[in-house]
Amino acid sequence: MSKTISQVSEYDGVLAQKKKARRKEAFKRTLPLYFMMLPGIIYLICNNYLPMFGILLAFKKVNFSIGIFKSPWIGLKNFEFLFATKDAAIMIRNTLLYNITWIILGMIISLFIAICMAEISKRKAAKVIQPIICFPSMVSAVILSYIVYSFLSTTYGYVNRTFFPDHPINWYATAKYWPFILTIVHFWQSSGQGSIIYMASIGGIDKGLYESARIDGAGKMKQIFSITLPMLRPMIILMLLMSIGRIFNTDFGMFYQVPLNSGLILKTTQTIDTYVYRALLEMNNVGMSSAASVFQAVLGFVLVVVSNTVVKLVDSDNALF
Amino acid sequence: MKKAKAAPGIQDERAFHNVALTLMTLLAIYCIIPFFLMLSISLSTENALANNGYTFIPKEWSLAAYDYMWAKRYTIGRCYALTIIVTVAGTLGNLVLTSLFAYPLSRKDFKPRNFFAFFVFFTVMFNGGLTASYIVWTQFFHIKNTIWAYILPGALMGAMNVLMVRNYFNANIPYEIIEAARIDGANDMRIYARIMVPLSKPVMTTVGLFAAIGYWNNWTNGMYYISDTKLFTIQVYLKKLMDSIAFLKSSSAAAEGAALAFKSLPTESARMAIAIIAILPILMVYPFIQKELVKGMVVGGVKG
Repeated sequence: MSKTISQVSEYDGVLAQKKKARRKEAFKRTLPLYFMMLPGIIYLICNNYLPMFGILLAFKKVNFSIGIFKSPWIGLKNFEFLFATKDAAIMIRNTLLYNITWIILGMIISLFIAICMAEISKRKAAKVIQPIICFPSMVSAVILSYIVYSFLSTTYGYVNRTFFPDHPINWYATAKYWPFILTIVHFWQSSGQGSIIYMASIGGIDKGLYESARIDGAGKMKQIFSITLPMLRPMIILMLLMSIGRIFNTDFGMFYQVPLNSGLILKTTQTIDTYVYRALLEMNNVGMSSAASVFQAVLGFVLVVVSNTVVKLVDSDNALF
Repeated sequence: MKKAKAAPGIQDERAFHNVALTLMTLLAIYCIIPFFLMLSISLSTENALANNGYTFIPKEWSLAAYDYMWAKRYTIGRCYALTIIVTVAGTLGNLVLTSLFAYPLSRKDFKPRNFFAFFVFFTVMFNGGLTASYIVWTQFFHIKNTIWAYILPGALMGAMNVLMVRNYFNANIPYEIIEAARIDGANDMRIYARIMVPLSKPVMTTVGLFAAIGYWNNWTNGMYYISDTKLFTIQVYLKKLMDSIAFLKSSSAAAEGAALAFKSLPTESARMAIAIIAILPILMVYPFIQKELVKGMVVGGVKG
């Protein structure tokens, strides 16, 4: 009995050695591959993984004079302070309201544009129109702020001079207008780009369906509602879920630079992203800033995982992971 | 019978077609017209602007704004040159890092490829946020007021791009080619440089174009990390210009001082002229690259 065991273990030893050698050989063979990935790995560690540990800052009272590592732990104090302020409620409300409105409106506008563009796709004009409606997404938020300023500047602005010459409106100081202004600016910039994905999907629908619908006497509207939209349904659901995964994130430039960082309209322009920046670099309050930042990152993570799980249930091919 | 029934249907379709064409034409005009306002402001005299406000057609034409830019060519030229350097260096770096990372991930015989794919992908799902990355970049790497501040944070390698390039490698370059090259004695670096990259021009173009536009348009990194005016890119320069105007307009208490400070700033039309030359490069290449960009938006729109 004992003999067999020792024999077996001896045999195992040889096997293990061979395995080890083979593994070493394989490692040697793949070594260049590791070297190729090295710059990327280093970059991801510096740019993404180190900051992940940075969420710990939210649980510290950061004091740069004694260093981050020596700064004392204070538990959930930063969060308590943050949620005790009025700012927290405002920025969370704004972030969610803008995102929800824009997701729903964006869906309708993108589908509408995509259906219209698909209708005229054979015309020469479409080849000019499509690049033009996508162009606004190519300009930066700084340029965007110049464009918006030329419309809304109190003294010179096109809108005041044309529509309110006698009682010019101080747009950059009046909070109630900004939900509308930002919505217009957002869709001016992104609706062309947003429709592209649906245009591609419409292009993939079998033309035979429309042919037979036409033979059966279905009008254009009927075709849209009984063929195009049902065929786009998986894509619509997918896009919806993906945007829900990003519902705590906003376009920083849109909410910070387009309103020209005006303090008077924060009630309707402050979002989590702008708050994180302002707390960090304008108020020098690392604690509040990182608390808001962690709040956003953690909820965002949960939502991405949840929405991806739903995507998987609906259409596993399109799941992110 | 059938014909009689089909006729109104066709009419109906034609009407729909015309409505769609009209609406899309209007949309295109709506998208492009703000740029004409900018152009018109830049071509107006200051007097006309003061009297009539901003108009779509200059009331009095003038090239003074562009003269001003010529006079300021050293400042603006430096910003412009720096923007070009950042864009070129960043784009090249991005392409190299992205494709170098994507190649091992696409190799079916590379066992840990799934682990590394997850290592990349996790950065999409979770991030430490601005506060943490600001502290990491400034406290550990001291990139404040260096050109690296434009190139490194957040922009050099995107996870979705790595996965997109990997998918392209997988779908378009048969493993047999790599195997054959290996038998012929080519090492991995050679396979990457001589086979993978040349055979994946379309995806590299897309990634490169988006990276280049991203770098050209980036102003947030400048705002976070740069205070040295010698290191302003054109976007940061424009941003700071707008800041000082917004500040001066809001500080009515120091009206007299503000009026003086205003004089040292570029005029209304000059500011628009600078904004226009900041868009100009994108505008000039856009007609040639828009097809690639649209392709990228379709791929990136679903997963990204």
